[in-house]
Amino acid sequence: MNGSFLLTLIWAVPFLTALVSLPVDRDDHRRIKKISLAGNLINLLLVIGLTFAFISAEAEHPAAAGAKLSQFHFTGKTVWLQMLNIEYNIGVDAISVLMMLLTAIVIFCGVLASWGVEKQAKEFFVLLNVLVAGVYGVFISLDLFTFFVFYEIAVLPMYLLIGLWGTGKKEYSAMKLTLMLVAGSAFILAGILGLYFESGMNSFDLQKLAQATFSPEFQYWAFPIIFLGFGVLGAIFPFHTWSPDGHASAPTAVSMLHAGVLMKLGGYGCLRVGMYLLPEGANMWMSFFLVLVTINVLYGAFGAIKQTDLKYITAYSSVSHCGMVLFGFTALTFAGIKGGVLQMISHGLMTALFFCLIGMIYGRTHTRTVSEMGGLMKVMPFLSVAYVIVGLAGLGLPGLSGFVAEANVFVGAFANPAPLYRFCTVLAVLSIVVTAVYVLRAVNGLVNGPISDHYKTLTDASLIEKIPVTILLFCLFAMGILPGWIVELVNGAVHPIYNNLMR
Amino acid sequence: MKLLLPDILLVLLAALIMGYDLYRGKVNLTSTVPFHFAWLGLCAIFVVLLRLPYDQTVLYPGGYLVTGTSLLFKQVFVLSALFTVLLSGAYFTPGGNKRGTLRHRSEFLTIILLCTFGMFTVVSATDLLTLFIGIELSAIPLYILSGFYKEDALSLEASTKYMMMGAISTALMLFGLSFLYGAAGSVTFEALAKFCAANPNEPLLRLGILFVLAAVGFKLTIFPFHMWAPDVYDGAPTPVTAFISVSSKAVGIAFLLALLYGPLAALHSYLQPVVLILAAATMTVGNLGAMKQERLRRFMAYSSIAQAGYIIMALAGDAGSARSSIIFYLFVYAAANYAIFFILAAIGRDGNEQRSGLQGLGKNNPVLAAVLMLTAFSLAGIPPLAGFMGKFFLFAAAAKQGYYAMVVFAALNSTVSLYYYLLLVKEAYIIEPQAERKPLMLDGVQFICLFLLTAAMLLMGILPSISGGILAVAG
Repeated sequence: MNGSFLLTLIWAVPFLTALVSLPVDRDDHRRIKKISLAGNLINLLLVIGLTFAFISAEAEHPAAAGAKLSQFHFTGKTVWLQMLNIEYNIGVDAISVLMMLLTAIVIFCGVLASWGVEKQAKEFFVLLNVLVAGVYGVFISLDLFTFFVFYEIAVLPMYLLIGLWGTGKKEYSAMKLTLMLVAGSAFILAGILGLYFESGMNSFDLQKLAQATFSPEFQYWAFPIIFLGFGVLGAIFPFHTWSPDGHASAPTAVSMLHAGVLMKLGGYGCLRVGMYLLPEGANMWMSFFLVLVTINVLYGAFGAIKQTDLKYITAYSSVSHCGMVLFGFTALTFAGIKGGVLQMISHGLMTALFFCLIGMIYGRTHTRTVSEMGGLMKVMPFLSVAYVIVGLAGLGLPGLSGFVAEANVFVGAFANPAPLYRFCTVLAVLSIVVTAVYVLRAVNGLVNGPISDHYKTLTDASLIEKIPVTILLFCLFAMGILPGWIVELVNGAVHPIYNNLMR
Repeated sequence: MKLLLPDILLVLLAALIMGYDLYRGKVNLTSTVPFHFAWLGLCAIFVVLLRLPYDQTVLYPGGYLVTGTSLLFKQVFVLSALFTVLLSGAYFTPGGNKRGTLRHRSEFLTIILLCTFGMFTVVSATDLLTLFIGIELSAIPLYILSGFYKEDALSLEASTKYMMMGAISTALMLFGLSFLYGAAGSVTFEALAKFCAANPNEPLLRLGILFVLAAVGFKLTIFPFHMWAPDVYDGAPTPVTAFISVSSKAVGIAFLLALLYGPLAALHSYLQPVVLILAAATMTVGNLGAMKQERLRRFMAYSSIAQAGYIIMALAGDAGSARSSIIFYLFVYAAANYAIFFILAAIGRDGNEQRSGLQGLGKNNPVLAAVLMLTAFSLAGIPPLAGFMGKFFLFAAAAKQGYYAMVVFAALNSTVSLYYYLLLVKEAYIIEPQAERKPLMLDGVQFICLFLLTAAMLLMGILPSISGGILAVAG
């Protein structure tokens, strides 16, 4: 199969899934769910196929050593709008492929985890699939305009998904999340227009722009607005406030997808658009952003300690862990950037599993407050064990995915000889201790201790619930025990970006 | 004479509809014949417009100029008139609207058509006098139309207020034009352009254009001349509100385009900062104002004030990008506005045209709710809808001149606007209605119109190249 056609197919399948479920009878929830599951299963297979094809393509055409231009495979382009040289221009490198794989796994598990959605199921799955189509679109786009369009498509359905199917102060959270993210994209839009006109080549093509020389004055103002614009979605301090509220209010599958994949779009954009296209701007501003993300890492961890609601704990830990993604990037060393990318994948798997489990536990206990639970190990051993394992992954236990990523991030950051970097790294490493505190406290409150009477009748996970948990656990272990192939792929993609930064 | 055909047909159509009543000898209040004449005629004129050559420029005797740009504007005007006529259908039918039934249908239709002809004149003028006559011809009918609920105090208040404000605007316009005339010694564009190119620093010209800008500011609802809009939009019958919000804005911006990129092109660099400041203030005022509005017509007034801000922002760009982006945006804006007003007409059948009237829509009528959501997103500028493309072009026109700060400001403003457009979506989907509501139903005309408008919003967003004509001709 033609590579670029496969890429188009990957974002088109969820979109078609949404279209196909439109004419289905509104009350036939089972059929809607089955269509959605089938669509995403097909896509999961397609993405796995893509990964293998990519590995062999990479082996056939290895990037030249010292190359400053990212190498994309399966490229293809068509003119979309002649007047402004807008193209539908697609292609993938290792980072995009791995992120797509992550997306496919998370959404497949997400659909299974939302098998219990009964309220307006049709609208729910249609929106979910549209959102996923947008996410895939972002990862394959090599044209900044198309990139932006997909980016917005991935953000907007969130409003209704949280507002309609959420819990707690859902309307407030939905509005806050949407507005903050769209405000971020206002900056991105201006940055993109700046790149277009200031490059002097009137093009949105990522690869062309990477070869343009931008004046230092332009880089000086454009880099921070692009980095911050994407950073909002990556929950950069002080623009992270949408994240705890949003994640806590969202329904299970949406939390999984949002914390697991969507927040990574922010980091991905920072890397792909900000640092790749504006290397001098990155060098000028990075110590400033380093301070911000160090605050992220610590603030998120300390924030999580204070929380009593399981979802809020995980949401704050997401702020902390997503901070680590950006922390790796701001380190401006090879290992740091690599660690950041690995952390995107690791955190995506981990947090998806966290929210998945919390959703299932909440569905049984009808509370998410840690102090009201206890002794759940006795009635739901499967869920409890899974929760313990994912908690350990969160605090970076070797053998699980978190360790691989965090080790790279911190080694990379410490490798930068500037005193500020050393200092910030030491501070950020402390967050692991704090993480241990809140994770173990939550685990302890959840699974140990006496069980209250009204929980004694609760049941363990059903078969359909065990599937997503098992898949995600498997991936956590796989990445922890055999990180070799992932690291190798990421190496290949990070080299050009790093070389470009150091020019 | 081929290029004049649409103008001639339009006048004939107006005469035909007026003549129909005269011929019958008595005013027939229930006849729908004039209605059918009007929409069929407008469709025919639109088809004629589509088939004309867009790459020719012909100057007819008496200084009546037809260019590709003017033909595109005529398309906007004709489409707007067409949808107004179709929208008005329900308001003339007994029981079609809770506020009351409008009477004197052929009078209404004739006035709409003649008003549209005034707009045609504006885009074809080559001297200040014709320009002025055109703009008055398009303004005075609107005062009459706003008061068309003849027993409704709000409607009459709207009409009076609009007329007062319009009179001030006319005075300012004449004052400004007299300065231009005084400086150049002639009313023709040609002489004006020559003088302007030779003396771009002439203070009389600068003063004159500021007065003209203020006068047009009333039509375009530019801050600080926007005050009348919420009251007039709220008081006027809904089809008239829709017509004012689209056609009247379009003619205002056409007027500015004709002057600023025509005879006064040499003053452009002087006007750029003025335009940008006005744009920034206008979008901010509109967006802040819209947040608290419960009554949907007032809501749309503030929304359209904000939209005017985005539109005039493109006037800071060069001629080609300003023309193409503004005309493209007018189509986009017209489609979204009319879609909202058709939904309003559906709410208005049994209830007040208020935001809470949308409650329960997501369950009762999912298709209409989806249309509402798409329209709201288009107005807010969310891809892949047409509103995003339109705004992107407008922003690009300003960015091309290096006004990136303005682009950030405008894009943030459009985030603010997303807040209140999302309130509509929230009302339709999230808020549970207090009492059981009758589902909103559409009649056939409304259904077809909404279908067409939604299709336009999607198509122009996803495949902007289908409007290649607009983008190429104007450039």
